[in-house]
Amino acid sequence: MRYGMVIDLKKCVGCYACVIKCKQEHFLPPGMTWAKLLMSETGVYPKITKQVYPVLCNHCDDPVCVKVCPTRATQQREDGIVWVDEKKCVGCRYCLVACPYQVRSFHNNTKEYFPKQGSTPFEELGKQLYPLENGVVVKCTFCRERIDEGLRKGLKPGVDVDATPACVNICPAKARTFGDLDDPDSEVSQLVREKRAAQLHPEYGTEPCVYYVIA
Amino acid sequence: MIQTRSYEFMVKYTPQREWIEKRGIFMWLAMFSIELGAGAFVVSSIVGNTLGMLIGWLLCALLGGGFHLYYLGKPFRFWRMVFSSGWQSSWISRGLIFVSLFLGLGLIHIALAQWASSPTALMIVADIFAVLTVIYVGFVMASVNGIALWNTPLLPVLYLILGIWGGLGITLVVLNIAGGTGNPSLVEEWSRIFLIAFAFIVLVYLLTIRYQGSAGKASVQTIVAGKIAPFFWAGVVLLGTVVPAGVALATWLGDWSIPTAFLIVLIVFELLGDLALRYSILKAGLYAPLLPSIK
Repeated sequence: MRYGMVIDLKKCVGCYACVIKCKQEHFLPPGMTWAKLLMSETGVYPKITKQVYPVLCNHCDDPVCVKVCPTRATQQREDGIVWVDEKKCVGCRYCLVACPYQVRSFHNNTKEYFPKQGSTPFEELGKQLYPLENGVVVKCTFCRERIDEGLRKGLKPGVDVDATPACVNICPAKARTFGDLDDPDSEVSQLVREKRAAQLHPEYGTEPCVYYVIA
Repeated sequence: MIQTRSYEFMVKYTPQREWIEKRGIFMWLAMFSIELGAGAFVVSSIVGNTLGMLIGWLLCALLGGGFHLYYLGKPFRFWRMVFSSGWQSSWISRGLIFVSLFLGLGLIHIALAQWASSPTALMIVADIFAVLTVIYVGFVMASVNGIALWNTPLLPVLYLILGIWGGLGITLVVLNIAGGTGNPSLVEEWSRIFLIAFAFIVLVYLLTIRYQGSAGKASVQTIVAGKIAPFFWAGVVLLGTVVPAGVALATWLGDWSIPTAFLIVLIVFELLGDLALRYSILKAGLYAPLLPSIK
């Protein structure tokens, strides 16, 4: 069992829905996003090519962040999901520096969305449902809460909406697919195989579990 | 002509910021203080100067430890770095174990050397852990394969030379001001040898990284001709290398000794060069852009 994601760049329209949904799902504070959208343009007018790349934690099969963590706060589950135990993290940020994909964040934010106007009901709810500890590193979890809850209900991650990461569910262009990379019959495995999906920086040897369909 | 316009980060070379910007400045100062202190302890213990050992120990424990703890997001959990199984793969965890053993054994050695007689075996073991303290940051950084400037086995060697060279300087200051056991001329001689080693390793390091892919080239370019260039040329090259080398050459050719006040100024210059080099290495650590990695 190794969860992974395939992002079809030909389908992605760059609407930022994944970024916003992730932020909403995890009640992330101002200035922090776990899912990111990178955009660039190449060429000179009138021959311009716009590139849109959604990125998130790659939940690498051989994660460097797990190796460098001095307190074993960053851990990898048997299903491949890499997560941070906030109670163990000491906030040294070695994982943040060591991650070649720069997709981790340090949470040290006490700002409100509307400064000096108090917390919004959304922020208050976040403190109850998804409290983030200050002074520790946080990151995308592949929505492991949704996956675990879905599995308890007998649902299948990547197939059933309630057991699938929020960014996959929200994508209006259905550019994201989630599932088990170790299952050769899963949709993600088929996409990786048939569409020759590529990983980010494979030369680092981290075996990212997020793949991109380019052509 | 092809142009790339970036609208978001990660589409071009991006510097690491965590260990050099904002509170990250304390990581830079912590690395410097810890290695300088451990280096001073090693040199002073070899020449038998107890005050030098104590100053090195204090630099490492109070300044180095203090800066490190101040940087941590959760400083009261620092003990987890030693008592978890992190040491099996993490150089920060291993480093903290080295520092702890060095500080413990070093303090016992200082106390015994001051009030009784300390066994040589204790000094050797304390020195081994002090040397490991000097070089562990090099391993911490060298294991980051996403930053080409750091991902080289030359970094621990460079930091070893920097730490011992700084330690020679601190010991020389102690010998010239407070006296005590130790031959200042010998320490000065070794300081000159380490100055040559420093200049050589910096040159080899930059040349090696320069030809180690595009990210390495961009990092070296940032150091020698980019935003960090003033720190490198004024700090590392002029203050840290050219001025001490010029004075050393003049004293060697003219057969005269350096006045104590001038010697202290020279050592301050050397330490500024050390600081400037560490700053340059931390500041110019660039990640390769993500997007061109997909082809």
